[in-house]
Amino acid sequence: MDGGIAVLGQVAFWGLYSGCIYILLATGLNLIFGVMKVVNFAHGEFLMLGTYITFFFFVISGFNPYLLLFLSIPILIGAGIIVERLCFRPILGTGKLNEIFISLGLIYIFQNGVAMVFTDEWRSMKSPFADLTIGIGPIQLPLDYIIIVVITAIILVGLSVFLDRTTTGKAIRASSQNRKGAMLMGINVERMDMLTFGIGAGLAGAAGTLWAVSGQVFNPYMGSVPAIKGFAIIILGGLGSIPGAIIGGLAIGMVENFTAFFLGGSWKDAISFILLIVVLLVRPTGLFGEAGE
Amino acid sequence: MNLAQVRTPKNLLAAAILILALALPFLVGQNLYLLTVLVLMLIFIIYSSAWNFLTFSGQGSLGHAAFLGLGGYAASLATVRLGLPPLLTLVLGGLFSAFIGILIGITCVRLREWFLAMVTFGFAVIIQTLVVSQLAPVTGGWDGFAVQKIVPTTIPGYLVLEYYVVFLIAVLVLVLFYLLLRSRIGLALAAIRENETEARAAGINPVPFKLFAFGLSAFVSGIAGGLEIFHFGYITPEIFGIDLSFWPIIYSITGGLGTLAGPVIGTIVVTLLWDGLNVLGLTYGRFIIIGVLLVLIIIFLPRGLVSLPEEIGKKWGRKGK
Repeated sequence: MDGGIAVLGQVAFWGLYSGCIYILLATGLNLIFGVMKVVNFAHGEFLMLGTYITFFFFVISGFNPYLLLFLSIPILIGAGIIVERLCFRPILGTGKLNEIFISLGLIYIFQNGVAMVFTDEWRSMKSPFADLTIGIGPIQLPLDYIIIVVITAIILVGLSVFLDRTTTGKAIRASSQNRKGAMLMGINVERMDMLTFGIGAGLAGAAGTLWAVSGQVFNPYMGSVPAIKGFAIIILGGLGSIPGAIIGGLAIGMVENFTAFFLGGSWKDAISFILLIVVLLVRPTGLFGEAGE
Repeated sequence: MNLAQVRTPKNLLAAAILILALALPFLVGQNLYLLTVLVLMLIFIIYSSAWNFLTFSGQGSLGHAAFLGLGGYAASLATVRLGLPPLLTLVLGGLFSAFIGILIGITCVRLREWFLAMVTFGFAVIIQTLVVSQLAPVTGGWDGFAVQKIVPTTIPGYLVLEYYVVFLIAVLVLVLFYLLLRSRIGLALAAIRENETEARAAGINPVPFKLFAFGLSAFVSGIAGGLEIFHFGYITPEIFGIDLSFWPIIYSITGGLGTLAGPVIGTIVVTLLWDGLNVLGLTYGRFIIIGVLLVLIIIFLPRGLVSLPEEIGKKWGRKGK
């Protein structure tokens, strides 16, 4: 019996860990959606870029991979700003389907650009703490997973302080609440668009580093499904609501890992979409979504 | 309708393309590679036209491979297990696909763009999971199973015959869509697409029309799926892949969204570009080129290649002044 509880605890902790990756993706998507009302389906490609940046610099420098967060986040912020300026700004307000279509083009460009450099084989890397575990009661937790949960929490707290306390953060929130009003108050909303897109991409880059550090395998095509799940999460949690993204991310992480445990690994991806379809059947605007935009 | 109306440049162009398409196998001769490219091109014209038909009703799908695959599996299972001829099971596959399509449509009619995109994408993932796990005893799981070809390979020049069979079906599908869009149904779909609330006010109930568009799109996609499987002679769950959901979107946007000719032109141009780049040895590079092309077209030519002559005309006219 004791063993059973230990296994369930282990599965729950895996859920918490994979939830962290989803939370970072979903929070970024949600910020971008809040300000620009745009859905970037190529968001997972930022995650993928994050894993490869971490992998590349880990191999050539041998630094502690957690330190590489300070590299992957800024690079991805830059990439996000460039993508916003070149691809999303010209189509802003031209129709909701265009942004989905332009993301498809970006997905092809990023995936195969990386595949050209690194080939498309599956890769993985080993964290320096890979063999360390910490025992809590009957459960043995890998140290890496604990660090990842803590780092995610730090990033989220940092983000919320930034949004609540700084002038720029307040300007982002204002643009998200009322674009026209923000414009009238002298906020350069287009700059906020760029910045928000950059922050969203940076969060995805952080998720990418954490993904690589945890020893999960990755290849250039790995990003699409986590990103679309991230979008499923913000539909579940309500478009534009950050606490909703956190709760939704944790819920999907848990549900996935328990389903994989009970039904077999092949159901891991399908279950989050089954959940999404069931929720949308009952509430077409999502669990906490509002009736309007 | 008098002759002057029939002889518009558009119709003449269509007739020329039709005659060229009929004569192509003779021009290509015995080059099996080119014939295969042409057959696949026709199958994808059918498939992207089906995807594009859905957009006429203001709906969109990111997971149309689900219907391609459902049609393919239903048709090939009926052929292998029941011994029915492929031409009959093609229709059965289409009907099965349409049935599931309407069920999905019922959940989707109330949803907005992104939500619809998510549900259709998720549905393709769910179906693929079912096929490789719980349904594996019937479907052969990831390994798939072999099926006969649409025209038995024992007949000499079977690929040419196959070309004409697929060509006939493609023409029938396009004519069907053409007639539908000119009918009252087409008008109702346009009204719903432009403004659903106003369409309701005009006395159009959007639900049956949206379901009809979903069902017909799934039916034709299912037929395209069956054709693809009977062309390759083998089916695997890869038919539900994300790539196969994205191709019809890329073809339709490149050619011109919401036009009948768009998916046809888009499929031809992108397929030729694709295979041409492959010959040049650009395995990954061609994806990047297609991606860049897609982004450029959305930003600078939002109505696709179909509108290119018109846009060029505009530019020239402006310069003339």
